[in-house]
This record gives sequence, C-alpha cells and structure tokens, in this order.
Amino acid sequence: MTGRFDAFWAVFAREVRGAIRSRTYLLLGVAMTLVVFGLAQAGEGPSAGYIPTVVDVLLVVEVLVPAVAFAVGYRAIADDAVRGTLDVLATYPLPSWVYVLGVYAGRAVALLVVVLGPLAVLGGVVAVTAGPATTVFATHRGVDSPLLFVRFLALTAAFALTTLALAVAISALADSRRRAILLALVGLLVVVVGADVTVFRAMTGGLDVGLETLLGLSPASAYRGLVFETVLYVAFAGRSGFVAVPVAVLGLVVWTAGSLLVAALAVRGGRTYRTN
Amino acid sequence: MTDTYLDGTDVSRTFGDVTALSDVSIDVSGGHVVALIGPNGSGKTTLLRILVGLLEPTDGEVSYEGPDATRPLGYLPQAPTFRPGFTTRETMAFYARLVDDDPDELLDRVGLGRVPDRRVEALSGGMTRLLGIAQALAGDPPVLALDEPASGLDPGMSQQVFDIVEALAEDGHAVVVTSHDLPLVEGAADRIVVLDRGEVVANDTPAALRERTGGPLHETFTSLVDAGDDVAIRTEETR
Repeated sequence: MTGRFDAFWAVFAREVRGAIRSRTYLLLGVAMTLVVFGLAQAGEGPSAGYIPTVVDVLLVVEVLVPAVAFAVGYRAIADDAVRGTLDVLATYPLPSWVYVLGVYAGRAVALLVVVLGPLAVLGGVVAVTAGPATTVFATHRGVDSPLLFVRFLALTAAFALTTLALAVAISALADSRRRAILLALVGLLVVVVGADVTVFRAMTGGLDVGLETLLGLSPASAYRGLVFETVLYVAFAGRSGFVAVPVAVLGLVVWTAGSLLVAALAVRGGRTYRTN
Repeated sequence: MTDTYLDGTDVSRTFGDVTALSDVSIDVSGGHVVALIGPNGSGKTTLLRILVGLLEPTDGEVSYEGPDATRPLGYLPQAPTFRPGFTTRETMAFYARLVDDDPDELLDRVGLGRVPDRRVEALSGGMTRLLGIAQALAGDPPVLALDEPASGLDPGMSQQVFDIVEALAEDGHAVVVTSHDLPLVEGAADRIVVLDRGEVVANDTPAALRERTGGPLHETFTSLVDAGDDVAIRTEETR
C-alpha cells in the first residue's frame, strides 16, 4: 500500500525528470542569464554593490519572473488533460490535491533553478567586483550587504512560486493547449499590470483603505513593496512606506494557496471518480 | 454462481439535447469478459467511461461491488498517450509507484520487457497500446475497462491483446472491453452487449447471438443495428 507521500513523490519526480530533459528550461535559463547580466552591466551595479545591482535588475525581474513562471507552468496540467493522463490517473489512489502539489513542486524546482541560478551568479559577481564599502552585515542605513542580496533572492523566489501557482491554476482550468496559451497570456497581463491597475481604480473609486495595504494585495506590487521595505530600505533616509509588509506577505501566501486550491478543485472537477 | 464486480443500472447520459445512452443496465462479473460492440457513436465509450467513473450518468447508477483493492478499476483509454521523453520503463515505473507495483513485471506481462529503454514516442501504435494495457494492470485492479484495445493493430498484435484479455479473465478479473473486431470478441467474450443509438439491443453469449441468425456473429450484428443512423449521435463525447 502506497502512501500519499509516495504518490506525491512519484508525480514530483516525473516533473523534475521531465524538466531536466527539456531544452526549453535550458533556453529560459540562458535568456534569464543574458537579461539580468545585460541589465546589471549596463547599470554598472555589480561594481557599485548589491543594492545598486538590485536596483538595476528589479524592474525587469518583476516582469521576467512571471513570464518565466508562466512559461514553466502554463502546460503543467493542461498537457496531462489533453493526453488523457488525468482520466487514467483518476483510476489511481492519487487525490487531486496530491497530484497538483506534485506537479507544482516539480515545476517549482525547475523554475527556481532558472530564476535564481543567474541571480545567484550575479550576486557572486558583485562579491568579487564591488567596492570596499560593501560589508557582510548592513548595520545601519546606507551600508550595503550580501545578506540584503540573499533577502532579494528569497523574495524573488517567493514571487516566482506565487506566479507559478497562478500559472498552474490557469493550466488546470484550460481544456486545450491553445486555451492554455491564451489564458496564460491573460494571466501574465493580470499579474504584471492588471492587479495594480485594479488597486489604483479602487483607490480612485473612493475605497477607504490605505494604498500601502491595497498594493499588498497585488502579487507584483507585494513583491516590489517587500523588496523596497526589506532590501532597498538601506538607501532611504526613513521608512519607504511603499507597502504594508504583513499584508504583502499574506497577499503572496493567499495568492499561492488560493491558486493551488483552484487547480486542485479544477482537476477534481474533471473527475467523478467513485471510490466504492 | 459468479460475483458481480461492477453493476450499472438504468444508466442514461445526455449531452445537451443528444441522448448518448438510454436506460442501459449491465453487470460485469469476476472471471468474465464482457464485450461492448456497436456502430460508431452507439455509446460504447460513453458507457465505458461511466462504468469507470470518469463520466457522471445523467440518470441511473453504477456501483463497484468487487473485492477491496488499492485500485478497484483499471482503465485503458481509446488512444493511450504518454508523456514524451520518457522510456517505457520510466513511464511504467511512474504508474507502478502510485500503487506499489513492479514495473518490470507489468512490462513483461504485456511483452514489452524487451524494450525497457525505448522512448515512448518511438513505440509503434501496437506497443503504445500494450504499454497502455500494462498501465491498466498496475495495482492488479479487479475490474479492467479497455476501450478498443486492438484498434488499428495488425492481426497478430490484435490477437496478442485479446489473449491478454482472456488471460486476465482466467486470473479472476472482470474485464469489460469495447471493440469493432467481431471475430476476436467472439473468441474472447463470455457475454456480448450490443449497443445501438445508446440502447442495448442484445445482451447474450456469443453462441446465443450467433444462433439468432444461424450465421456468423456479424450477421446477427448487422440484423440488430441500424448502421444508417450511426452518424446521428456521433459526437466527440459519444464516440
């Protein structure tokens, strides 16, 4: 008798093995590397320190990470649906939520390698090229530190995982590859600009909630705000006040969990599996 | 006395205003092969998917009454497709792991043990179907639902598939299979259910069906179904 962990591991291992053999992920990694290094070199951030480097790449990373996440995740479940694999898997003792988590975790490994790999190498370049003002611990404002860059990597990983969850949910809702592409493009647009626009519309519509709270509800703004609040804050004389940190963290968690829940329900909705 | 493993009672299914199945009752017993035959669009696949639990009947009910099992029902879709880039063994290992089975033994049972390292996209149509059958066998499910397992295969491969079907029944499995290959069905099935326009027009042993016209099975089949109407309800869902 197999347990749910074994079932999860089977799905997870299949996704990781598939990613390792896919040239698409290799190409995504190369593209990501070229973009972040190109930006950093143009801005000359690496020679100045970690914070200038984050400033150089932040805007593009904010767009690039969702784009890569959607590329990694938009067919994650749609392919299994189109091939009829979901029908077959419905006859196995594999709950839909375990299947979704396995797919998500496997793709997450691939995504994090593609996204964080180039950024980590960039951090290494900063370590060997930055000036003497860069220290290990940022003990006061104005002081640069590799730990701040590690924090930036962690936040970028969280943002990547959130957008991947959205992509997986969209993939689960699509009933064909063509629709998966279409929905992924719409989803990407929503993540990159749509949610922010909605927040600003809510503000101009007279909603009596602070902007820093509302911005925490949009994944992209939450990520951007958290980077400002917890990484770039050393460059500001006072608190940046871009976003409410607890709301932003909660926003990313809710988007991630909610998306995976939607994906699991969508997969389950495609089954009417009778256990007895 | 045989044990019923799968019991469908008064099963109906509509897609919009199209009736795919109407008041179909069927039971499948352990150690027996039940064949569903009928013209294209007669509702064979729809019935099979309802029996497996992949499709909700609009009316009626289906119950699994077989022994307790990790995986009660094994299913071979009409066109089994596997994720490209993986070998037959890796593919089988994935499904086997879900039910703690031995992938090599499953491949051996369908004769694919000699090509464990072949990529699934490099398999012939027949081999892909055999891999699909191996997948259906994972976990040793008491009931096996096979949707046209010999479709598009050469005579030798078709016979091999139906030999496997017979062997499964001899092992005590309840097998329900759809097919257009009447000679193979006649040789392997204990009972044949003839569907036409979503209704059961005959449900009997191959011998009893043959006796209806005194000729080969296809004569009885032709006399039972109205082949001219088969396109009327043929949709993607009712194929």
